[in-house]
Amino acid sequence: MAGFRLRVSPFFRKLLLALVVALIAVYLAFGAFLWRTMHKPPEEFGRVMAKMPGPFVFLLFPFETMWVHARTGNLNLGDPAPDFSLMKVDKSGYVRLTDLNKRQPVVLVFGSYT
Amino acid sequence: MSFLTVYITEAHPSDVWQMQSNIRDKVVFASPKSEEERASVAGICVRKLGIKYPSVLDEYGNSTEQAYTGWPDRIYLIDSQGKIAYKSKPGPFGFKPDELRAALAGMPEVEAASWRAAAGEIIAPGLYPMDADQSRKVHASDT
Repeated sequence: MAGFRLRVSPFFRKLLLALVVALIAVYLAFGAFLWRTMHKPPEEFGRVMAKMPGPFVFLLFPFETMWVHARTGNLNLGDPAPDFSLMKVDKSGYVRLTDLNKRQPVVLVFGSYT
Repeated sequence: MSFLTVYITEAHPSDVWQMQSNIRDKVVFASPKSEEERASVAGICVRKLGIKYPSVLDEYGNSTEQAYTGWPDRIYLIDSQGKIAYKSKPGPFGFKPDELRAALAGMPEVEAASWRAAAGEIIAPGLYPMDADQSRKVHASDT
């Protein structure tokens, strides 16, 4: 069975190819921009994300995979937990991790309200 | 066995990256501009969410958040030798109390009753609104 063959002019073929290459270049450039932004401090990242039109970054890019890698951090399982001494929210005193951690495991939950 | 909330930089303050879900839930706060403002929002957060276990405030320079890459939310389990025994993936995608439950269950030094009681309280109804459904699920299954 003879296949259908679309006849396109060489000019149109070149134009199409250029368009595809340009689209890929824009996609990769935007992906690189997004990746760099994920490494910025939270506020800077948030300001950029606030300007993104709708959910398109989540649909066009593997956002979750990129985010998980960008925010991996430096701590690995088995590493000593960095110590800190922070004021309690009710201002009743400070909590030092190493004091709390003596003889018992500690779960740290990082988060905010919004 | 001890739980500690570390209150850090707001994830979606109204002047940076407002979320419609937060407007619906009337959780609308601008970025705190000082240590005092941060303490005030943290106090409201702990009170409104009914967080029962101790909560501390990361200092305004975010040193603890940076050391742990804790933003926007994250869970760690530190064993009694001070070593990291569990580290969640970064939130909101990686904030999975179920994984913490599995990690706790695998720790011989943790008494089941102790962590079950604490895990029932963790992030209920949701320290981070996008995780609320999952948190409620954990809460419900532990009771």
